[in-house]
Amino acid sequence: MPWGLHTKDAPGNGRVMIVDDEDTVRKVLRLTLTKAGYDVVEADHGGKGIETIGSDDNAFMLDVILCDIRMPKVNGLEAIAFFQQQYPSVPIIVVTGYPDQKMATDLLTQGVFDYLVKPVDKDKLLATVQAAMEQRLALRHDH
Amino acid sequence: MNGSPSTIRVIIVGAGKGGAALIELFTRSPDVEIAGVADVNPEAPGLRLARNLGIRTATDARGFIAEDRADLIVDVTGDPAMRSLIFQHKPPRAEVMGGTSALLLWKLAQRERDLRNQLIQAEKLASIGTLASGIAHEINNPLYTITGLSEHLHDEARPEVIREYLDEIITAGQRIAGIVRGLNAFARRTQEEEVCEIDLDHTLDEAAKMARRATVFDQVQVVTQYESALFVRGKPDELLQVFVNLITNAVQAMGGCGTLTLSTDDDDGFVQATVQDSGPGIPHNNLTRIFDPFFTTKDQGKGTGLGLHIVRDIVTNYGGQITAESTLGQGATFTVKLPASPH
Repeated sequence: MPWGLHTKDAPGNGRVMIVDDEDTVRKVLRLTLTKAGYDVVEADHGGKGIETIGSDDNAFMLDVILCDIRMPKVNGLEAIAFFQQQYPSVPIIVVTGYPDQKMATDLLTQGVFDYLVKPVDKDKLLATVQAAMEQRLALRHDH
Repeated sequence: MNGSPSTIRVIIVGAGKGGAALIELFTRSPDVEIAGVADVNPEAPGLRLARNLGIRTATDARGFIAEDRADLIVDVTGDPAMRSLIFQHKPPRAEVMGGTSALLLWKLAQRERDLRNQLIQAEKLASIGTLASGIAHEINNPLYTITGLSEHLHDEARPEVIREYLDEIITAGQRIAGIVRGLNAFARRTQEEEVCEIDLDHTLDEAAKMARRATVFDQVQVVTQYESALFVRGKPDELLQVFVNLITNAVQAMGGCGTLTLSTDDDDGFVQATVQDSGPGIPHNNLTRIFDPFFTTKDQGKGTGLGLHIVRDIVTNYGGQITAESTLGQGATFTVKLPASPH
């Protein structure tokens, strides 16, 4: 159990929250991650993501967040600012269809773990999530 | 006379290419008023342009020359007989510019027009850049559905799941095809360089569609209040550029969240279109500068500061007017007024 961080209902390699407004995009991400042994929770916009991370004991259960940028209601940038402030130890990977170099640089400077542009290669996605998990694990051990 | 004391009143004699270029130049110069344009040929391009702009025209120059209305008579006919005719009839205080000096002015006007066209082109390229990243976003989402689900098809044996993935892949492919079709239609329209009759309501709808690709629109409620069958004469791509720019600005000002009201109306020989947003409004000291070239409040790299300047340039070139009104906290309203085309 390499990332055996959890006690309750999060077996396997760790828990990832996917925040994206497109059903089929979430589906592809979910399939990719669950097949690789991750537990997945989903939110269809930033507000839902904030609600999900705050509910129950998800704050301690979530290891990595995958977050889109352009979404209705609460957009990705607002959600990311919230996650970073409230849950600074949870790495955030941006997965967006919007190839914006300036935004990528800004977000990476602000501490976002990585900025991936859709369509994301499966191996690249899994490698990035795994690296984020390692960082999360290291931070947990520090505390 | 409606000019201020510093206004220079000009009569243009000769309305061929040179005269038309001077009309365009003077129309854009705030301290110059064209008191009349004359040419023996009633179909001379400059006379047609002057009529469209509501400037007095005549086929016999003598009437205009004799009036004591002009500070300057510019003779671009190149005809020595016209020169003596002007000196015979002109009031003493009117100066005359003809021959080589008029030719020089014409050359400068042409140069100014070339630079203006380059500026329009530069702004167009900048907005294409914004548009391209918006389109990339729209296409990349369904594209990811296609590539991602295809990868998962590899190791999927259940026929019902395979069918489900295939259906979703087809839908995503059709979505991309729809986006590309929309772009093709736009590309065809922008190649239309000829002046023609344009349906104003349709142009606003098209512009809203284009702006939707260039900026985040998800939480913007679009309200339209159109007076039907309003037509103007112009180049379709230029008018589209005007409204795409105004709508994109409005949506960006609202941070992608609020109400965008598009309305059209007719007003005594003119038609007017308004683009209204419910954003934070424009501070008074900015309101006087927004049409200045290179004035921008957007982040570096986000705006050229040329958009509204070119919008005003295009509108005034059609004999129209653009005004901006705003109260802080209550959004902004841009009104474009253009001469109506008799339909």
